[in-house]
Order: sequence, then C-alpha cells, then structure tokens
Amino acid sequence: MRSALIVAAAVLTLALAIGFAARPGRPAEFTIIGTNDFFTLDPATMTFSHDLRLSYAIYEQLVRLDNHGDFAPVPGAAESWSISSDGLTYTFRLRENARWSNGDPVTAHDFVFAWRRVLMPDTASRYISFLFHVRGARAFFGWRNEQLTAYREGDGERSAERAAALLDEAFERFEQTVGVRALDDHTLVVELDTPVAYFLDLCSFGVLSPVHPPTIRAHERLSDETGIVEIDAGWTKPGTIVVNGAYVPTRWAFKGGMRLEASPMWWNAEAVVSETIEYVPIEDPNTSVLAHLTGRGDWHMGVTVSYLPDMLERKAAGDEAMQHIHAIAAFGTYFWSFNCRSTLADGRPNPFAEAGVRRAFAMAVDKQRLVDRVRRTGERTTDVFVPPGSIGGYDSPGGLAFDPGGARDQLAQAGWIDRDGDGVPENSAGEPFPTVELLYSTGSYHDDIALAMADMWREALGVQSTLLGKESKLYRDDLRQGEFMLARGGWFGDYGDPTTFLDLNRTGDGNNIRGFSHEPYDTLLEQAARELDPASRMDLLERAEAITMREQVPLIPLWNYNVYYLFDPGDEAAGRAGVTGLTTRPRTIQYFFELGAAGAEAAR
Amino acid sequence: MTGMIVSRLIQLPLVLLAIYTATFVLAWAIPGDAVAGDEDKLIDPAVLASIKARYALDDPARFYVEYLDGATGLRWARRSLAGEDAPGPVFDLGPSFTHADWTVNEILASSLGVSITLGLLAVGIALVIGLTAGVIGALRPGSAIDAITLVVALVGVSLPSFVNGTALLMVFPVWLGLGTVGGWGTFADLWLPAFTLSLPYAAYVARLTRLGMIDALRADHVRTARAKGCSAWRVVMKHALKNAFLPVLSYLGPACAFAMTGSFVVEKVFNVPGVGQHFVDAVLGKDLFVIMGVTLVFSALIVTLNLLVDVLYRVVDPRIE
Repeated sequence: MRSALIVAAAVLTLALAIGFAARPGRPAEFTIIGTNDFFTLDPATMTFSHDLRLSYAIYEQLVRLDNHGDFAPVPGAAESWSISSDGLTYTFRLRENARWSNGDPVTAHDFVFAWRRVLMPDTASRYISFLFHVRGARAFFGWRNEQLTAYREGDGERSAERAAALLDEAFERFEQTVGVRALDDHTLVVELDTPVAYFLDLCSFGVLSPVHPPTIRAHERLSDETGIVEIDAGWTKPGTIVVNGAYVPTRWAFKGGMRLEASPMWWNAEAVVSETIEYVPIEDPNTSVLAHLTGRGDWHMGVTVSYLPDMLERKAAGDEAMQHIHAIAAFGTYFWSFNCRSTLADGRPNPFAEAGVRRAFAMAVDKQRLVDRVRRTGERTTDVFVPPGSIGGYDSPGGLAFDPGGARDQLAQAGWIDRDGDGVPENSAGEPFPTVELLYSTGSYHDDIALAMADMWREALGVQSTLLGKESKLYRDDLRQGEFMLARGGWFGDYGDPTTFLDLNRTGDGNNIRGFSHEPYDTLLEQAARELDPASRMDLLERAEAITMREQVPLIPLWNYNVYYLFDPGDEAAGRAGVTGLTTRPRTIQYFFELGAAGAEAAR
Repeated sequence: MTGMIVSRLIQLPLVLLAIYTATFVLAWAIPGDAVAGDEDKLIDPAVLASIKARYALDDPARFYVEYLDGATGLRWARRSLAGEDAPGPVFDLGPSFTHADWTVNEILASSLGVSITLGLLAVGIALVIGLTAGVIGALRPGSAIDAITLVVALVGVSLPSFVNGTALLMVFPVWLGLGTVGGWGTFADLWLPAFTLSLPYAAYVARLTRLGMIDALRADHVRTARAKGCSAWRVVMKHALKNAFLPVLSYLGPACAFAMTGSFVVEKVFNVPGVGQHFVDAVLGKDLFVIMGVTLVFSALIVTLNLLVDVLYRVVDPRIE
C-alpha cells in the first residue's frame, strides 16, 4: 500500500513542481477580454480585426481617424500633409518628436522600408492591393514574383549569391519605379497612379504601420532554396519588438494573455488614459462572458454566446445585471450571394444568371422577420450593401424591399410561371424550377437563416430549396470555384469609402465569387475612380450601387452586422462614470490609449 | 527487466515513425487549403503560391522529408557540423500558420507543462477520491454510503466535462465567488479544472478499487491477518488494498496519458492554456505543423508513460516477470 501512496504523492508533487506556465502580474488599469489570442504582431501580415485593433495600440500610422466623429483623418505619425491639385502626390510631414520605443527617431525612411516590405511577395501580405494605388507598385510586385518563380522553378543555379543579387536588384527597382520615397528624414512623398479619394483613410490602416528597420533586418534570412526573404517570427516577442505607438507589449504568452504598458517614448504620452492594459483571450464564448460578469475584465470585445438574445431582451426589460451588454453597429453586411454565371459548375443552366430571377428571390425575403424571429439580436435590416450612414457624404440609394407579390411578378416576367398548376413554376419548355441549393459554412446560425429563407421562397414563389452545409474550409473552396447556386456571405469594410464594398461586384475582382459582370456598373466605378470632385464621385458611386441593389441584385443584403460589447456604461443618475473612451460609431475603431475604467473600478 | 526496457527503447523511434507517417497522410487528407485562412477575404493567388513554396506545401513528398529532417534533429546536426552560427532548435517542429508569430516548439513549451500539470493533478485527485470511495464501498457493500459512491461514480463517468465544468464554474466562482473564471496562474485557478477533469477517472478508480477490495477482503491472507489480531486499519491498508491496487495501477498509465492529452474540453471551459485546445484548433484550421508536432510529442509521451507503468508494475508486484 505504501507504494500506492508514494505514487499518489509523487504524482501530486510532480504536478505542482512543474508549476505554472504563466504567473499573473499586478492587475492592469484596464483589462480587455477577447475571444482569440492575437495571431500576429507583424503589421504587414495582419488580417484579423483584433490584430488590426492591436496595431492601432502598438504602432502609429501616418494618420489616425476621428473615431468618435465622422472618421475624418487626423494627424498621427504625420503632423501635416499636402495633396497636389491633380490628387496624385501626397507629401507627409512627419513629427520631429516621434520616437520608437527604444528611443530611435521615427523617420520617413522607416515608412518606405515598411511599405516596401508589404509590397514584396516574400512577405505574403494579404492586404497588398491597398498599396497597388501607388505608382509602379503593382508592376513591382508582379516583377519580383516572376523573378522568384523563375528562381524556384527555373534551371538556373540556386545559391546564396544569386538570391542576394536578386534581392539587391529588387531594392534598386523599388527605388527607381515605385512612388514612395523619403525626401529627407521627416518628409515622405507618395505618388499614385490614379487619384484615390480615400488614400488618407488607407494610410490609417494597420497594415501600413511603420516597422523598425534594424529589428526586422536582424531577423531576416535570405533562403537560397526559394530566393525568398524569410523572417524569424521571434522579432515580435516582448523584449525584442520595437514599436512606435502608445503601448509596448511587455508580456505575451501563447493564448495566455498580453500586457501592454504605455510607451514613455510616444510623443503623445500625456494623452494615455490607462498606463497598463491587460488582454485576456478566452476562446469559450460562455466562459468569456462569465469572466466579465465576475469582474475579470472592463471591456469584452465580442460576445457570441448562444444566449445573447436573452441577454439583450433582459437588458431591454431593465434587468440591472444585464446593463453591461451593448449592441454596436459594425461596418459590415450579412448577405447571400447568387451565382451569376450562365451555367452552374456541373454544367446545368443557371436560373440565377437572369437578373429578374435574382430580383424575385431578393424581394421574397422578409428580412425583418429573420432578424426578429430567427436572429433575435437586434440587427438593422438593409436592402443595400454599403451600411447606410457609415460613410460621410454618401447617401444610400436604397434597394428592393420585401414584396412577395412583386417577387412573383418578377419571376413570371423572367419566364417562370406555374403552368401545370402543381405550385412549382416552370419555364417555357415546361421544365420546373430546379431545386435551389443553399451553401453555407456550418457551426453558426446560417442554417437557421437558410431554412427560414427556403420557407419564404416556397411560400412566395413555389420554389423548393435544399440546404448544403459545409465545413468552413470546404465552403470557401466551393466559393472560390463557383460551385454553388446561393451562398452565405459576409463583408466588413476595410476603409471609409463605398468602394470597399462596391469593388466586390466589379468584373474580375478577386472577391467577386459571384462571377457577376455588368458593364454599366464597371463603367460607373471607373468614372468614379477618375472623378476628382468628391461630391460628384459619391454621386457616381451611389448610381453604381443603385444598379446592383435595384436591378442586377448579385446578392441579397440581409442586415448590417452588430458587434456585442460588455462594459460598464456607468450610472448618470448616480454621477458615476463607467468605462470611458469606447466609441459606438459604426466602424468600431477603438484606440486603446483612450480607454479608461476609473469609474468602473470604483463601482466594484 | 533491463532487456525489456532496452527493447522498448529501440522500438520507440519506429513507433514514432509509423505514427508520423499515419499523421502525415491524415493531415494532408484534411480537405481545404492550409494557408488560405478562414476570413471572408480571399488571398491573391501569387501570394498564396509564394507561401506554399516556402513551406513545401506544394509538394507532399518534399514536406514529408523536410519535416522529418527538422523534427528529428538531423537538420540541426548538419547545420551545427557545418559551423552555422544559428542552427536553430535541435528538434524543429516548424511554424504555425494561424499563429504566425509562434513556432510549434514555442507553443509546446508554453502549453505542454500546463497540460501535464493539469493532467497529473487530476489523476492525483482521482486517486484520492477514487481510493477512498472504493475502500468505503467495499467495507460496507450495499450500504447507503456504497450506493452514494456508486451514483457519484456513475455521474462522473457519464456526464461530459463541459456539463460538469460549466456547472462547477457557475456554482463556485459565479455564485459563491470562490476562484476566478478563465484565469490561469494561481493555485486557485487550478483546482476547479483539475477537479472537473478528475471526475471520470475518480469514478473509474473507485469502481476498480471497490471490486478489488471485495475480492481481497475475502482472501485467505486477509483472514489470517485478522486472525493474528491485526488492527482493522492495518488489515485494510496493508493486506487488502495492496492487492486491490494492482488493477488501479495498470489503469494509471493510460489515465495519466489521457488526462494530459485529452483535456481539451476542460481546457476550453476553464480557459486553461494547455495543448489540448490548440491541437483541436489546429486540426480545424489545418495548421499542418502544429498537428504534426503535437501528435509526435504526445505519442512520445504516451509511449514513454506506458513503458514507465510497465516498469512500475514489476516493481510493485514481483510476481510479474
């Protein structure tokens, strides 16, 4: 028996001896709960919204956006800028007192270095197209890409010398052909191919953050097998990473949280409300909500629990315990895409190639009913793609409203009429309307939406549908290959211009999985791109959106997304402030340095 | 016994190679694109091609060989011999696609200890609870206390951890204010997940002990011990439990392995940064290097634990050759 006790004791001692991977430091002044760890701190390769949100805390871009107002650009790392009259040349004047967290000055050269890095295919930045507006940038990317492919697959010798020679050639070519250069340490000049009305907005985007060249160079390695500049991801670890923003990451454990401390080097350090911020990733939605409700966090960045509708209903009913939940309008639209190609992937004729059929299906969906009965989380339904009210100067053109009678007429005009009285419409050849396949990714609410829409279409149009739920990677493969009839979709805008949505329906756009192509629409977008007068430009874009939302309908917009935050709103009657600094404006850009929880702490 | 240990140690790399090959085939068979990501935005095809070339994702055979080269330490040995300044880690398990800033080595380094701590503690708790309940049940078979342990054991085995875990989370931190939700790093954070994880094992240990004890208490040597006047405590602890413990011991090996590697539900519910949940995420996201690396390390762990239990078994019961 003694051995049993020894084994048990040994097991327990070993368990405790191995100890804990992470020890909590002192509590931070502000604690954020998120549902994911950050994926990367390398701005060039960021894609996820919480990574980008962090990029606004640890880096400072050329400009910032007025996130509490109308998102106008305000000075960031650049204290001022001027734009040439043809809208092609931007000259940024950088702050003389801007410093990296190690004390080095932030210079125009650092921006050139960072942007060149984004433009190199080696870096594999997903947001590379943002820089394609810059003169020569697209050609440079294509050229370097060809060189690398030739190096990798060609018969030439693969050696360190040749890889280095290729890289030198690339840097030289960049300098000669790409319109980004530093006039001096504090003047950055950017030349564009065509005027881009929202270019300043792009300059505020996290991916275009500057990076500290010496740190990056110290971690780069040129592969003689592929010719690619590889980076050792270790450069982003606390202690090594050098940043130019309001905060410096001082602790980061894999899925174990991050600690941010205010950078004394930041030129605007007095503006920082919370000196320390703790980020706690909790992947399980329920656990993360319980963590907030037990006082572990000040702000929960994204509630996704299945009982969210009940939380919102309890809040609406005045439940004291649920006052922390907030629905915030986000800069995104939930929609279902039509396959607009003339034939389906399996060769069958595609009934949705006909705009009239698409209109009929769009008009037969009772969106309010979907939101009220199926979703139950209070989204605003929409008949257009660009979220109304989210972009200054853009008046939403409006789209097709719910009208089952009109939907039937549209279908009949497209030649689909119930000719034999069985309730299912047939075409002139007597063939019944094919069973509509609804493709979606499983594991979310899309199946409920698909079922409800199938019901509405059966009722209004007599059309049968079938649900096709696939695991998200398979669903995405099908989308890319155009193998679907209708597919669920979602889009969040990247910058404050209608084109961040409208480009999705442009002929040949990488994200135009619908295969939609309509010349008048493309023409209007092109005209808008050339138009220098902001008002006339918005006018053209409104007309373009009107074409897609009223006539062509390549997709059915259902609602604008909400994000759901948990935070203490304070108590005005009691004169107590809650969490301060969070904006509820639709683009949900949050700058961490503005966040404070003094009032919320006092209440606990 | 030395011979057994040596031959098992020789088998170890072969077992691991077989597991590596099987995992490789399965991981590559997971449909979908490893690098394309899950967001609604599609990547430029040229960018995609360049990433794939970098990680040998365009050529399964090259991937198989290159990964093995790095993971076994061969690449490190070659680079060291060639006198490179930075030959990299000895066993290079590759990068993570989804968590681009971390290598699989770093991920395992930060989370393996957590999973082992949690697993071992759970097994420890399971032993304490299980042995106590089993002995009490065996001493008074059919009594109320036996019935209660039976019911508790049944619940422990039958209810999934996410139910137990969520219930415990609601009762202790949320209603009673004991401990934290989603925290990790202090002893207070540890006991709730460990207890949740221990429940099914405790239940099984209790039933094993109870059966073993009932048999042992009827055995001749126990009657002899009683007859010569041993105290009841001594009879139970020394003479009966020693024999009844053997089946428990043989269960401990796989129990430890499962508790350390299969705790992902508990890790998820309590937000414990262990390996289990990363592994599940990796499979869902087709994060090839993480899948391969974690499987290899877990396999090595399980094979070693089994070996350890076999050795212990021989130490405890000299009758086994």
